[in-house]
Amino acid sequence: MLRKTVSTCLLLILVASIVISMLPAPTVAQEIPQGPWVDEIIFSEEPDMAKAITRLEEGDLHTYFYGLTDPDLFRRIKISPELWYTFSYGSYNELTFNPVGPEFPATGKLNPFSVPRIREAMNYLIDRKYIAEEICGGLAVPRYTALTPSFPDYARLVDTVREIEVEYSYDLEKARAIISEEMEKLGAELVDGKWYYKGEPVTLIFLIRVEDERREIGDYVSAQLEKVGFTVDRQYKTSAEAAPLWILGDPADGKWHIYTGGWVTTVIARDQSYNFDFFYTPRGLPFPLWQAYTPDPEFDEVAKWLGIANYTTWDERNELMRKALRLSMKDSVRVWLVNSITVWTARNELELTCDLAGGFYGARLWPYTIRFKGTVGGTVKIATHTLLIDPWNPVGGSNWIYDQMIIRATYDPSLMADPFTGLYWPQRIKNAEVYVKSGLPVVKTLDWLTLNFVDEITVPTDAWYGWNATTKSIVTAPPGTTAKAKVVVHFEDTLFKNKFHDGTNMSLADFIFNFIITFDRADNASPIYDEAYVPDFESFREVFKGFKIISEDPLVVEYYTDMIYPDAEWIVTEAVDWFDPEMTFGPSPWHMVAIGMLAEQEKKLAFTADKASALEVEWMSYIAGPSIPILEEMLDEAIDTTFIPYKEVLGEYITDAEALARYQALKAWYEDKGHFWVGYGPFYLDSVDPTAKVVVIKAFREHPDKADKWAGFAEPMIPEVSVTAPAIVDQGYETEFTVEITYKGDPYKIEDMDFVKYLIIGPAGEISVVGTATPIKDGEWRITLSANDTLALLLGSNEIEVIASSKLVSIPSSVRASFVVSGLRKEFEGRLEDLEATFDALISQLEETLTNQTALISDLEGEIENLRAALASLSNTVTMLIAVAAISIIIALIGVVMAIRARRLTIT
Amino acid sequence: MEVRNNPAYSHLTSGEMEELIDKLYEQEVKRLGLDKPFLYRSFIYLKNALTLELGRAQYLTSDSGSRNVRNIILERLPATVLLFTTANLIIFVIGLFGGLFLSRRYGSKLDKVIVTLSPLSSIPGWFYGIFLILIFASWFHLLPYGGFVDAPPPKDSLNYALSVMKHMILPVISWLISYSLIEIYVRRTFFLMFSNEDYVEMAKAKGVPPRMIERRYILRPTLPPIITSFALTLISSWMGAIITERVFNWPGIGSLFYMAASIFDSPVIIGEVVIYAYLLGLTVFVLDVIYALIDPRIRVGGA
Repeated sequence: MLRKTVSTCLLLILVASIVISMLPAPTVAQEIPQGPWVDEIIFSEEPDMAKAITRLEEGDLHTYFYGLTDPDLFRRIKISPELWYTFSYGSYNELTFNPVGPEFPATGKLNPFSVPRIREAMNYLIDRKYIAEEICGGLAVPRYTALTPSFPDYARLVDTVREIEVEYSYDLEKARAIISEEMEKLGAELVDGKWYYKGEPVTLIFLIRVEDERREIGDYVSAQLEKVGFTVDRQYKTSAEAAPLWILGDPADGKWHIYTGGWVTTVIARDQSYNFDFFYTPRGLPFPLWQAYTPDPEFDEVAKWLGIANYTTWDERNELMRKALRLSMKDSVRVWLVNSITVWTARNELELTCDLAGGFYGARLWPYTIRFKGTVGGTVKIATHTLLIDPWNPVGGSNWIYDQMIIRATYDPSLMADPFTGLYWPQRIKNAEVYVKSGLPVVKTLDWLTLNFVDEITVPTDAWYGWNATTKSIVTAPPGTTAKAKVVVHFEDTLFKNKFHDGTNMSLADFIFNFIITFDRADNASPIYDEAYVPDFESFREVFKGFKIISEDPLVVEYYTDMIYPDAEWIVTEAVDWFDPEMTFGPSPWHMVAIGMLAEQEKKLAFTADKASALEVEWMSYIAGPSIPILEEMLDEAIDTTFIPYKEVLGEYITDAEALARYQALKAWYEDKGHFWVGYGPFYLDSVDPTAKVVVIKAFREHPDKADKWAGFAEPMIPEVSVTAPAIVDQGYETEFTVEITYKGDPYKIEDMDFVKYLIIGPAGEISVVGTATPIKDGEWRITLSANDTLALLLGSNEIEVIASSKLVSIPSSVRASFVVSGLRKEFEGRLEDLEATFDALISQLEETLTNQTALISDLEGEIENLRAALASLSNTVTMLIAVAAISIIIALIGVVMAIRARRLTIT
Repeated sequence: MEVRNNPAYSHLTSGEMEELIDKLYEQEVKRLGLDKPFLYRSFIYLKNALTLELGRAQYLTSDSGSRNVRNIILERLPATVLLFTTANLIIFVIGLFGGLFLSRRYGSKLDKVIVTLSPLSSIPGWFYGIFLILIFASWFHLLPYGGFVDAPPPKDSLNYALSVMKHMILPVISWLISYSLIEIYVRRTFFLMFSNEDYVEMAKAKGVPPRMIERRYILRPTLPPIITSFALTLISSWMGAIITERVFNWPGIGSLFYMAASIFDSPVIIGEVVIYAYLLGLTVFVLDVIYALIDPRIRVGGA
């Protein structure tokens, strides 16, 4: 019985447990963690891109921090159900020409590219669409000018750029005609389809880079040049082989004519006005090639003005840009080919930010947004092309993106770079006020700062201006010092409650330490003087005008600067970056840098590669290698001596106990982790295996921000634009187009849009009308073409191109729609008018005739009236006559009667 | 270009920019010691080479961050030695015993198969490596795609060593597939040639047992060339196998050489060649001593 009961109970328990296990688990909303979304990230090296894609598909990796431009790999990614992809747009290709000539002094050979018109004709010779679509497999867009199609200036000047694109579109025959004309002027002869000069074929030496798509581009351009009669000597070279010829060598040596150039921009360039001065004039670079450039004086002046921002308004600047664009095409010392589209990929379950210029690894926000979709925690495996290239130290360490992408995860910037616009958002500051001298072309876009224009900015004499390493004292601003801008920055109220990874608190001393060391390293009297740092420092010294602490906690600081950018946000960022606890190459809490200072003072290690070479010591690494035991020794020394750097000043801000506490925390950190890298970002450096090339970073859960702070920046809100055009537009009549701007189906807010421009492109590609659309409501804009506008359109098939530029992303979106311009309505109406006129004339005639007839009738009527009157008169007369006659008859009768009576009387 | 592209310098005028660049250039010349006379520099270079002071790399740093060429090379050498010494030792043993085995079975089916397959060794090891990665890493997920150790690396030494061994399996197998057959074929041919020598025939005629003939009459006289070949192969392999290391992402001397060559880091390239020369010289010297020990025909001194 007991056994049966037990069996029954067990059975019930079993059934209950099965039922319970089948019930849906109660859903618990996952709490948003402090710091990053994920717990851990493991970086490893995978130099083989194809293998990396395979590993991603197999789940062995979650993402690959390396941009791909191979169309075959992109095809694999596109069809893979496991992967998603996104793009960045920061690299581009061009043809660089040797401008020396017409004959090279060294060889006496002809250089056709010394003639600007032949260089200009190269624009017609190259089919950029072919390069973009066939050679680059769609991973590129044609590029005609010095402006990058994905950056804001392109959208601002799109009408001019489009005109240039139409004017310089592929036209082999036009190219052939211009080249023939100019070659004949140079004295060359075309014999059997080949150009000869002084009895020898004109041979063009073409340096073709082999590492990427430029090899195929080089082959294509060579074939085009051969079509117009040149003989091409294709020289395939790597970067290292080509550089001594094209950039380091003297172009007058005649060792090359053309080179397949390539450039990369890793941040969104909000202002590209400098490009003309850089790419087309001798001021661009000090290399022999640039010094051989002889731009047209007008172009040279325009480029120079743009280069030094010699303008006072945006309109003036844009007008100069338009001029420079057109003149640059006439000059064409380089012919732009395509803007590459770089592919970045990750597994579907992973989410992270991609910078529109710098890709995954260039996005400052990637550590803040990386997560597994819908999940908190987990370990992310990231591979990259290479890792741990140079030593890590914040003062003069590795600047490689492969190292910096990890280093950046270990510290917070005071302002965060927007991956989609290139502007900056507050991270550790609340807000800022910017004061700029009147007349400077500065604008602000975002609301966290204010921009004011003032007549003069005088630096107060109690503002910090520098550091004297001899007297070990702060130098204040000399009287009468002025600045072009003043920035007042209000840091977060809780700034000094923020923790470093070793558990110590950030303090004002970290800022002041960074102020002093900035000057100290450039002072010959300092034990950490580094001559390699001096050129950098001098450029900083030239623009830095003052630093004044207004409030210590919460921290409010005034910065005085001569560094001006068109965007006020950039002025703030530049100023704040000077002295916050981060240096160029990493986080810089004072106690962490102090042990490095000791090592450099004792000539055991050096912060920079140059000083390390000069001292013949190791370049300092805080994470691994022979530096580590030396830094450990220095830390012990710092603890033993209670070392406070720059004690003469910092002694007021750091007590001995605080210094010891910091060093003890660093010691404990080193004993636990085996390295001295202490930051304050969302991740801390957990371990480094230099041989295996593996780096592990883990979530710092004492980070001041929640993981969702930057959630809105996971993907760029690139506007999706569509335009509804009427099938037929009648010339001379007002017409409307409706533009829809959305993002993932939702209307794009009007206030988030910068502008919506339109161009009407005629049948031959000419631009006939340019204008801006009018907002109707969120997501809907309207374009109205007046009767005059439509009258200006040419008959036939036209296109409307709408370019929408958002304030949230730098990349403009564009869309085209076709419509037919018809003149029939006008013609019909003309004919109708003719008919109407004819009828009117007829009617007039008729009316005239009628009038005449009426007059006649009136006359007749008059006559009739007269007749009538006459008749009436006659009638009266007749009546009278009748009356008279009647009377006469009566009288006569009476007379007769009387006569008869009289006779009777007589008889009787 | 770093200066021109640096926004921090964008406010400088052209003249100031050129002045800054000149200053940086002068610093670089000074840093590299190029401001000293050529002859003076030559003597310094010679002394440094003899004392293995191979200088500082122009661009590369060691994995742990050192710019000292000796550190850069010595940090990578163990990984290469570990992988290729293991592979070559196994190939040597397989070749030696396989060759002996086949020489005894000259004309057998196995002999014919090996002889037929031996040209496959003209295909390099990395080629097989790609297929091995595809099969064992990509399809079956049994072994890693490459690298030196798991990521993250195990904390304790034993697991670390096991992880390294796991990562060695595919590269070693790729070399075995590629080079074992030719090694067996060469050794087998070598032994066959020696087994037809008159003194071997004499020993056979005298009724010496086959094992003893192999050991004393065939193996021993062939030892000097075998050891020479093995030692030189070993030393060569310590310079790494560039493509194999790239395919398996093995952090050895081969991939270091590839990196140094691709960015023209001359001190590292020269350093590798110098170390190879030293190892080669040392090996030849040691071989001379070994010859004296194993070859009865070679004796020190005497006329």
